[in-house]
Amino acid sequence: MQRGNIFDYKNYRYFKLAIIVIAIAVTAYMLFEPAVGYYGGSWLGYGLGTVSAALVFWMTWYGVRKRRYRSSGSTQGWLSAHIYLGTALTVTATLHSGFHFGINVHSLTYALLIIVVISGFFGNYAYMIYPRLMTENMGEDSLDGLLLRIAETDKLARQIALVMPDDINFTVDRACRETYIGTGLLEQLRGYQPDCPTAVAVEKLTILGNHLTGEQRKLYRELYSIMVRRQSLVKRARQDLMYRARLGFWLYFHTPFAVALLAAMVVHIIAVFLYW
Amino acid sequence: MPVRSYRTLTAEELSIGRGAECSIHLLDPRISMHHAVIKRLDDEQLHLVAVNGELEVDGAILQNIALTHGTQVMIGPFQLRVEPAPPDVNIAVSLTLVHLLPDDFQDLKARTHEPLRGASTFKKRLALALVAFIALIFLALPLAQNLIPNLHATMAKLPLGFDRAWSPGHISNSHLHFGSQCFNCHEVLTQQVTDKACIKCHSNVAPHIPNPKLQEQVFNHNKLFMDGIRCAECHREHKSPYPLARQDNSTCVRCHGNIKAVDSHTKLTNIHDFDRDHPAFKLTFLTGDKEKKIERISQTDKARLVEKSGIKFPHSQHFGKVQGPNGIWDVREMTCTNCHQQEGKEMRFKPVSYNRDCMTCHANQLTMGPPEALITVPHGSEQNVMNALKVQAPKQLAHYSESLKTDGCAYCHEINDFKAKTKTEVKIDSKVKTNSDDGLPWHVAPLNINQDWFSKAHFNHASHQTQKCQSCHAVEESDSSADVAMPDRQSCLRCHSGNSPKPKRIASSCMSCHDFHDSHVMHESLPVPK
Repeated sequence: MQRGNIFDYKNYRYFKLAIIVIAIAVTAYMLFEPAVGYYGGSWLGYGLGTVSAALVFWMTWYGVRKRRYRSSGSTQGWLSAHIYLGTALTVTATLHSGFHFGINVHSLTYALLIIVVISGFFGNYAYMIYPRLMTENMGEDSLDGLLLRIAETDKLARQIALVMPDDINFTVDRACRETYIGTGLLEQLRGYQPDCPTAVAVEKLTILGNHLTGEQRKLYRELYSIMVRRQSLVKRARQDLMYRARLGFWLYFHTPFAVALLAAMVVHIIAVFLYW
Repeated sequence: MPVRSYRTLTAEELSIGRGAECSIHLLDPRISMHHAVIKRLDDEQLHLVAVNGELEVDGAILQNIALTHGTQVMIGPFQLRVEPAPPDVNIAVSLTLVHLLPDDFQDLKARTHEPLRGASTFKKRLALALVAFIALIFLALPLAQNLIPNLHATMAKLPLGFDRAWSPGHISNSHLHFGSQCFNCHEVLTQQVTDKACIKCHSNVAPHIPNPKLQEQVFNHNKLFMDGIRCAECHREHKSPYPLARQDNSTCVRCHGNIKAVDSHTKLTNIHDFDRDHPAFKLTFLTGDKEKKIERISQTDKARLVEKSGIKFPHSQHFGKVQGPNGIWDVREMTCTNCHQQEGKEMRFKPVSYNRDCMTCHANQLTMGPPEALITVPHGSEQNVMNALKVQAPKQLAHYSESLKTDGCAYCHEINDFKAKTKTEVKIDSKVKTNSDDGLPWHVAPLNINQDWFSKAHFNHASHQTQKCQSCHAVEESDSSADVAMPDRQSCLRCHSGNSPKPKRIASSCMSCHDFHDSHVMHESLPVPK
């Protein structure tokens, strides 16, 4: 029997809860329009703001809670609630704003919330897509296993290249020495190295092999197939890094901006009551 | 343990390279097939000359190096050094592999970076930076501006204050020029904006209830504003583009919902909602030739709803197909706008004018006499009419005067006949003047044509121009100008509801039709505010 995931946890318990929260908020918004238009300072606005603030505090508590060894409730349930109620929070906070935006701490708080929620959506997407792609890409291999196999191909390729003309030897040597796997953040996220020496070597070998003698030609064919295999292994290693980078990259935004959101929200509440 | 081998070679040239045919065979992928050669050149010295590889001396790439005792050259990963030569050889060199090939796996691992290395540190730093930025810009600086007097004074001279970042919404245009400095209105932190802040600029605003008696009666004193209610409760800032003054009913209903509690002698009834408990409309009737002589009569008092305009005008004969001045074949289609011509953006109507609206059809009412000697008198004062008669037909003055009194002028106007009444009676009838002094036998009754039936409310015809006139003003069957054809509350309720919208009816608040106690009108009995 297939176990439920975070989305259909306990027969969509938190999805239903989020729908109820959204329905109540939207209904209240449609029924009660303040005389001077919707704004956060009406009783409806305060209500929606209080609900939104409570949700923000609860959402950020998830971040604390998941780092604790001892915790209450299942992690799957917490995450399911985090996702669905986080989405509902976007609606309540938007209605709280009354669609009034400006250059101030209040709109900054809203903007930070949107960044956190959108990055969270990307996190959802990443966890839905990339684990499967990682398994498809690596099979039962590990990254170290792939690197070992690449190192073996390097040894073989170098040995054969030693008796090849200089241009072939140096192309292969450069491919072995200068191929990097996920050096920078951008390359990790893109999953390839611009002008990858291995790809360049495979491309060059097709041209350089034209002028070889009979004996060299036999070795050349072996060398070419080794380099193609190397290219494939390098690509898989890069893709593995890419998926792992993408799985974690959204947290670059989600976590720091969530902390910033908390700070901005506290200032937002203080500012509202200081200038009463 | 390093591997050492010693070889003595005899040749004209010594080739160095990866190739098996080379005199010095260096099996390393970093060495070219034919890397370099040692040979004697024209200067009779031995040189190391690059063939397909690179030669490096102290970091410089050279093509040709003279080999003397102690010379050190890097050939790929090997170091070539010219050693002291025994007497029977030309040159002795040593070759040492100084850069070993790294282990492929470890080397590759070093070139394979962990995904998102340093992410945790980055996230912590970014979070701290964002929190510090928010705390500084949006909390510390605005607070400092409010709490440190010197900074406050300095910031007051600048166009923007730090606390501008706290502004919760758009400031209305009228306050925008100083609204960027919050402390102009928010004088003390944690306190609501006081009337004192408003009065700094609005000190000469008239009382909101212009009638001082009513002001005193309602609020029990003569204060400029309503005691107990802050200006800011009705004038809500930071809500632009909504009007600064509140348009909802709550402020009105605060008093008018239980009006006896405010004024026990008032004749007004309690009102909460136009739909629910608004009384029948009162129409304003002019009772004299001055606009201030008015009487307001409820539409429920139908017996008194009679307009004494001094004119005879059956609307029923001026609507639809009517006969024109040129006989029975002259049929014309008349609509309301033939006579009621709109004026201004609110679509008020110009007063009906004889020259513009009546003369086309009724010019012959001012023409008398046989066809060969027609006399035409001007429309205007009776004196001008009599003067025209005296000039054109002095002998028939009395006859034509009588004709005008019974038919010409009297066709449209009420006539005051001085011969038929005593002077006292005429005084009562005309209510304005006796006219006996000018010696004229009769006068046209003064006109009291009403222009503003709802003087306590405002009505915008332009907002209702999609409706037919007759849907509110039932004049098609009216045979007398005494009829009043103003719509009543029920007519309005067909399309308007009270505070909340109803199906197919528009929500209408107090301010939809009324101004706040004519707050913008200075009552003439008020002292001029200083």
